[in-house]
Amino acid sequence: MPLLPEHISALIGALSKLPGVGPRSAERIALHLVQADPAAVQHLATALVDARERVRLCDTCGALTEKSPCGICTDSRRDAFLICLVERPVDILSVEKSATFRGKYHVLGGKISPLNGVEPDDLRIAALERRIPDEHIKEIVIALGTDVEGDATSFYLAKRLAREGLRLTRIAHGLPAGTGLEFADEVTLSRALEGRREF
Amino acid sequence: MHLAHLRLRDFRNYARLDVDFAPGFHLLLGDNAQGKTNILEAAYLVATLRSFRGIGGAHMVRHGQKGYFVGSQVVGQGEHETKMYWSARERSLSLDNQPVRKLTDYLGVLRTVVFCSEDTLLVKGPGRARRRFLDLLLSQTHPTYLSLLQRYALALRSRNALLKRPLVDAAALESFSRELISAGEVIMRLRHELVPKFSPLARLAYRRISNDAEDLRLDYLSSVKHDFAVDLAQSQARERTYRSTLIGPHRDEVQMLLNDRPAGQFGSEGQKRTLAIALKVAQAEYLTGLHGSPPVLLMDDIMGELDLKRRTGLLPLLERAHVARGQVFMTATEANWPKELGRDVQRWIVKGGTLASL
Ligand SMILES: Nc1ncnc2c1ncn2[C@@H]1O[C@H](COP(=O)(O)OP(=O)(O)OP(=O)(O)O)[C@@H](O)[C@H]1O
Ligand SMILES: [Mg+2]
Ligand SMILES: [Zn+2]
Repeated sequence: MPLLPEHISALIGALSKLPGVGPRSAERIALHLVQADPAAVQHLATALVDARERVRLCDTCGALTEKSPCGICTDSRRDAFLICLVERPVDILSVEKSATFRGKYHVLGGKISPLNGVEPDDLRIAALERRIPDEHIKEIVIALGTDVEGDATSFYLAKRLAREGLRLTRIAHGLPAGTGLEFADEVTLSRALEGRREF
Repeated sequence: MHLAHLRLRDFRNYARLDVDFAPGFHLLLGDNAQGKTNILEAAYLVATLRSFRGIGGAHMVRHGQKGYFVGSQVVGQGEHETKMYWSARERSLSLDNQPVRKLTDYLGVLRTVVFCSEDTLLVKGPGRARRRFLDLLLSQTHPTYLSLLQRYALALRSRNALLKRPLVDAAALESFSRELISAGEVIMRLRHELVPKFSPLARLAYRRISNDAEDLRLDYLSSVKHDFAVDLAQSQARERTYRSTLIGPHRDEVQMLLNDRPAGQFGSEGQKRTLAIALKVAQAEYLTGLHGSPPVLLMDDIMGELDLKRRTGLLPLLERAHVARGQVFMTATEANWPKELGRDVQRWIVKGGTLASL
């Protein structure tokens, strides 16, 4: 095997740690970058560093944002008493694309996963429990995936969050069994949101 | 249904092979270690994406090569083309030149039943082997069974992980119990429904092969006596002691009785072998009844283990596959091939990773 210059190998190593980038594509990207216009590469490097520096999680809902609280949390046209509970920040994008939900969000930051050592305390459940009285929340739509861990987490939350004056619903029933929100197309998702059901 | 074409590249001891197979009976003859079983393994791989030798992809790559390719053309209701490539770095699977997204879209294109000497584990081996046999049959006949099994397995492992924690989180445990129960109940119901339908087929097959010697009966013995949810709740104290889930479909058994005695304990070696073959024959019959056409039979060296009487008992099944435009592949060494099979046999000589028609 021909030996690659040290810095190319290092670049390949770093790239192949990215999600969805296998060793082959890492190699292809690296070889492209080391032969590309230096200005373009500089631009990419700056974009990477800027994005990482500026983007953070919203202190209230956990969404990706550049200022906290985020645009959704401060949007006065939204229903402030309705929260959609999702697993990850990207799920907010899926729900927003379906354009049927007009409330606010809360990102759980994962799901209960005994096999990966994720316990309820590792999720943003306590923060949600504080928001309920603080923001006078009337309804929470639980919109987690319908795989085993997503389902178990939904059930766990339905029990733990149950309290007087709070409506708990879930949308999972419109989604094909065993999928996460990211795989649901917009039509399926908006239908699921409209048809949300009481636990 | 039949396997019309098989294409191998760097698969086991085959550097390259392109071969057409007509429907009917194919006898793969050759000395030991020439590549007879490897052909059956490739056909099974097309059908199930696994090896029946129970090993991973790396073993099937020809020594010194990077990856293997197995392609096929299958003629059934329609015509399908399958392509599969495997290497440590890369895998791909396509059906009719479209990448396969969901396994359920793929499985069923080719249906096979394998007969091999390890089948006696169905009788002699642990309960796991018998559960897997039922699960395989249900996966082949029930569109959602495989995903149910996967859900159950994940709920079970998650639950066991929770039970092993120093401090068991009861609320989290309950959430996974609910998943376990909802998948587990359907699995047990489907198995419970299958066994009484399957048992008479196995009984008949056993009779035919053994010439009416003993009476075979299969029963599904569930670890759940009344209601899964109730029984699971009642097993709580024991669960905490053993730190794992003690009841459910993963603990159920298929009992096999020969003249009312458990065959695994009381059967002779010959009886166990006959019983194992009867189970496979019944599997083929069951699939034929359900799909209207017989699966492709892959028989690895099993005739040599049977006496003439028992071999004769198997012939009607093989002939039927023939009539229904099915297909049978049978391996044998020149010395022990079943000559009573007669003339309608396509014979192949397998030698050092090549196939030549005789
Ligand atoms: N990954 C591999 N690469 C190359 N050759 C392999 C590989 N795996 C197995 N073989 C070779 O394949 C041959 C065995 O093939 P196979 O099991 O099909 O034999 P067989 O004809 O069925 O023999 P038998 O009559 O003993 O059952 C052996 O020569 C073995 O070395
Ligand atoms: Mg062999
Ligand atoms: Zn926010």
